[in-house]
Amino acid sequence: MDREKIKYTDEELVKRFQEGDERAYIELVKRYKDRLLNFVYRYLNSFEQSEDVVQDTLMKLYTSAHMYREIAKFSTWIFTIAANLAKSELRRLKRRRVISIHSMGFDDKEYEIPSEDYDPAKETTSNYGEKQIQQAIDTLPDQFKTVIILREVQQLSYEEISQILGISIGTVKSRINRGRLRLQKLLKELKEQ
Amino acid sequence: MDCYSFDRIISDYIDANLNVKLRQEANEHIEACPRCREKLADLKSILSKLSSMPTCKTRSDFESRLMDRINQTKEQKESRFIRMFQDYSRPISVVAAVMLLVATSIFVYTSVVIPNSPDSIPSAEIRSMEPNKSITPPATAIANVKPTLVNANNVGSLPDTNKVETQNYNNQIMMVNE
Repeated sequence: MDREKIKYTDEELVKRFQEGDERAYIELVKRYKDRLLNFVYRYLNSFEQSEDVVQDTLMKLYTSAHMYREIAKFSTWIFTIAANLAKSELRRLKRRRVISIHSMGFDDKEYEIPSEDYDPAKETTSNYGEKQIQQAIDTLPDQFKTVIILREVQQLSYEEISQILGISIGTVKSRINRGRLRLQKLLKELKEQ
Repeated sequence: MDCYSFDRIISDYIDANLNVKLRQEANEHIEACPRCREKLADLKSILSKLSSMPTCKTRSDFESRLMDRINQTKEQKESRFIRMFQDYSRPISVVAAVMLLVATSIFVYTSVVIPNSPDSIPSAEIRSMEPNKSITPPATAIANVKPTLVNANNVGSLPDTNKVETQNYNNQIMMVNE
């Protein structure tokens, strides 16, 4: 397999997996786990939750691979699943934050557990710190946030983004333009604070 | 080109998606407008920072955890099937027993009770013992006779054994009727 796997495209691997070859699935996991994590992490800004979402995405690939048809690129298909799961998770997290604030009594205290998770903000050096950039991304409205991450972090083409989000290329272009300007504005505001 | 128009195409300018004419207009505007020039430079720096943000990696046990989850799901699926079978085995066996009982009852009723009842149609043996009842030739016999008669007509003077047999059979019917 090691020698064979080099020549297989993602689409060929899915086909093999659909035919029952579990090694093809493992190869797809290896190819996509970090790419998906980067996308979801920028979206949720939580390593633990992001890893869970990636696990769910790859579980979905395992259970629903038969639903994939070779009319779309595999990467587009898997990113669509990840984007949908990430959106649901973000909604859930927001709800939970609201509930936890409401349910906190006077004696309740929130303890921050020291985490060994990877923190990109630690490595910042330039004008805008990564923490600031991530903060600005978090503040972006969802419609801009997704396109910005897919375009700037994942470096996907307009066409791929349009397929993942199910919107026209014109809308993608417009959202990228407005999203970038919004991000710039937010960063300026954060810097001034 | 004014600042507002430049704002609308700034992304396309960065991504080099503009046609020659628009690009030329945008360049002229940047030359003339320090605010837009600064904005463009700032945005370019943000985007470059975004694209070079360090990438995260899944933890080393990610794959083993995933495979554990998959195996767990598989087992759950299997046990769910077994549990479902166990849950439904009792009602299924009750329904099967009832159906068997009903089928047996119908069989017994049709083969024993119906033939012995006075309203029922008499069997072949009983019918043959009744002298006044007319006997109609079986359908197969008629079917065999008719074509042979036509053939006999066509042949003309040749003796036909079938024709004779048919006549004998008709005579028998007449005798029974008398």
